[in-house]
Amino acid sequence: MLFNSLQYLVFLPTVFLLFWLTPHRFRVPLLLVASYVFYMSWRPIYGLLIFGLTLANFLIVPFIEKATEQKRKKVILGFTVALNLIVLAIFKYAYFTMDAVKATLGVVGVDWKEPHLHIILPLGISFFVFEFIHYAIEVYRGKPVVKNFLDFALFPSFFPTQIAGPIKRYQDFVPQLHIPVKFKWEYVDEGMQLILMGLAKKVLIADNLALVVQAGFAHPEQFSSLDMWLITYAFAFQIFFDFAGYTDIARGSSLLFGYKVPINFNLPYIASNVSDFWRRWHISLSTWLRDYLFIPLGGSRGSKWLTNRNLFITMALGGLWHGAAFHYLAWGAYQGIVLILHREYEAVMQKIGIHEKLLKSKVYHWASVVFTFHVVCIGWVFFRADDMKICGAVLSKLFEAPTALLNFSASQLAILQIRDPIIFPALVLILPVLMVSTFVINWLNDKKFYQSPPWAVQVTVMVALMCLLTIFTPDSSPRFIYFQF
Amino acid sequence: MGILRSKFFISVALFAAVSSLLAMTKLGNIAPTDYPIKTWTGWAVDEFLSDKQGRPQFVFMGSSLMLVPVAGVDADYLNRPIDGSRHHNSQYFEDQFQQKTGQKVKTFNFGLPGEMPSDAFLITKFLLKGEKRPDVIVYGVGPRDFMDSLLPSPAATDPYQCLSRFGDVTSHRHLIAPEWDQRLNFELAQLVYPYGHKLDMSVSAERAVTAAINELLPKPQTNKPFTISDRRRLFPSYKQTEIAANEAFFRPTTPETRTFDNANLKEYKKRYAHLNWRTYCHQMKFLADLMNTARERGTQVILISMPITDINRDLLEKGTWDSYKKCLKVLAQSKDATFIDLGDSKQFALNDFMDTVHLHSGGGMKLLDIIAERAATDRRVLSALDPTNSHIAGLKGGQL
Repeated sequence: MLFNSLQYLVFLPTVFLLFWLTPHRFRVPLLLVASYVFYMSWRPIYGLLIFGLTLANFLIVPFIEKATEQKRKKVILGFTVALNLIVLAIFKYAYFTMDAVKATLGVVGVDWKEPHLHIILPLGISFFVFEFIHYAIEVYRGKPVVKNFLDFALFPSFFPTQIAGPIKRYQDFVPQLHIPVKFKWEYVDEGMQLILMGLAKKVLIADNLALVVQAGFAHPEQFSSLDMWLITYAFAFQIFFDFAGYTDIARGSSLLFGYKVPINFNLPYIASNVSDFWRRWHISLSTWLRDYLFIPLGGSRGSKWLTNRNLFITMALGGLWHGAAFHYLAWGAYQGIVLILHREYEAVMQKIGIHEKLLKSKVYHWASVVFTFHVVCIGWVFFRADDMKICGAVLSKLFEAPTALLNFSASQLAILQIRDPIIFPALVLILPVLMVSTFVINWLNDKKFYQSPPWAVQVTVMVALMCLLTIFTPDSSPRFIYFQF
Repeated sequence: MGILRSKFFISVALFAAVSSLLAMTKLGNIAPTDYPIKTWTGWAVDEFLSDKQGRPQFVFMGSSLMLVPVAGVDADYLNRPIDGSRHHNSQYFEDQFQQKTGQKVKTFNFGLPGEMPSDAFLITKFLLKGEKRPDVIVYGVGPRDFMDSLLPSPAATDPYQCLSRFGDVTSHRHLIAPEWDQRLNFELAQLVYPYGHKLDMSVSAERAVTAAINELLPKPQTNKPFTISDRRRLFPSYKQTEIAANEAFFRPTTPETRTFDNANLKEYKKRYAHLNWRTYCHQMKFLADLMNTARERGTQVILISMPITDINRDLLEKGTWDSYKKCLKVLAQSKDATFIDLGDSKQFALNDFMDTVHLHSGGGMKLLDIIAERAATDRRVLSALDPTNSHIAGLKGGQL
């Protein structure tokens, strides 16, 4: 069931009404049933998978708490994490591993006929597995276990965040289930505003940009270097609006039940360096990686070399988490490398003693924002390309830009030749608007007017979004990008 | 805070008011013929409604089972490539019929890829009337038209998308949208004006944006303009059903160049798998309604159970072929239609087919000969064609 489907349009209000008509003690079971209905509407059999993992974690993790010896705690934690990762590996990385093994054997002249496993990736597995691992590690670190099975079962399966996060923390989520909240119209107003905004981001912006991105990354040879830069910018905004749209709908849907789930984005494209970018992009994942991978690896406690190694491993594995393919691994590795370079650069600047001065300079700040955006965009090429071959083709196009700029003429731009669909030439106008709107929102963020807009403005925006979404939502919209992870 | 102070519910109320306003002003509406994608259906409808077309006496209808042989025969007969988007008559049939009866008739081929009885019904109901009412409808059906399990609903076809714009389909809502979500979608489209007219409104908006962008960012001059084939290569999923002029040709063949290919067998296995009796019954109902509509207007229907190969027929679930045949026969009898049963006729051999269901032009010629022969001798067909027939003549000239 997709958030932008008619089924969800029926499902959400039904669960909402039942939830608020039900006494508090029955609300968790109700949401649990609804969440399993939501999950099993795609492939019923995979309901068993999420249930099985839930039960296993619920039964095993308390042994970590009960264990008196640290060593024993560690063994049980290792077992729990391994169990979750093995399930993830089977469903997500089996083909990838077999391909890698086949390729390796091929190098030494062995022709291995790999078995065909017929594995279909269960929706949301990467997200709920990470939630289970978080739970096990937190209990290992001394946090209390969840005693009630229904509460625990709802934590990974909660339908608004089930498929693509945000990755929740059980200490934030589970206590909310116990608060006997009373219905407030604010929940509906704020929740529906978020849902409408999320749908608009997805349907009106991301899906339209997807057409251009699809063409550019399928046939980079048909486009000039400058075209490919515009197409790469388009992907940067497509993935942001697609995922931020999903997150808004997830947060809005949760809010309808009075529950808050974490934010995932904070204007990532105004980041002034890559480290800042990762504090603003997919926040629930980056903090998870920090807390449960980077820190356990040693974090930045060791030598410079060890810190950089930990950073690289964390980001490379974070890349692989997105998908079982080399281009995701390359994307993660690239992020690791640019983060390391950034750390080294900052260290040098601090050593010279100009770092503070530079940070105060507005010109430096804006130059950094533009530079960071381009560094991120180059990373998106690894992310979006279907394979490393396409990735190489797109990157080589991008690096021809200086020559192309020297001989610039509008006729170089293939996107201006295409008039159907009109989104191609419109890109030249849309991209600057999207970029500027990011800065405007950043400027507005601390203004009272923006934090709590007047009643009439909120209503006008909602009516406008309702009209636009009614008219421009296609009969079949592409799935959210992060659904595949 | 009460519901009356909820910003969301006030927004919903205002949205309802805006929708009503849009319904009253019909803002952004475009003509039914102004369908944004030129598909097989769009080309056929445009030509049928054009002034130069006039009134055909014979209209052929059916899926590609009818389209392919009828157009293919003309390619052979006229010995030139036939542009499928712009050639909509059967010259061969017209000449054959004239030879047999001495009567000169005009034909129009409304055979469309994937056309279901539901689509044929819409063509009949919305287009084959008044000045354009034909005397005879020649409708060729195959089992796929009633048993396609890949079809989610009658509304999913390209002909439906285009033809449903020409009139009110609400009387058939239970057949068009049989599943609960399809029905909800249908009712929402009726209830919420911008949702029901989103195609019109989005196309109008897109046209306005296109005009503005063409003004702001004119297309740079290059010596390699961007063509429709470039577009298909770059983004194949965009406007998949579109057909451009001079793009889909039926080319002349000879017995030597005609080949048989059973590659579509796999596809038909899927189509016939898990027969959905509800779809079957609904499509039969559409066929019955088509015949009723035609009869009310004085149009004689020639219903043809189209020839298909034994290979294809053997894919059908046990009993379905007999049921299908029986239904067609009973329906034709009860509606006083002329029935030509070629489904398992020995008149067609495997070498008359280009694949497991489609006749090639050689087989198509045989088919048109049979139809011309039957039409030339059938009392009801001749009566329908007779301009002096008082009952029918009274109906001509736009009364229906």
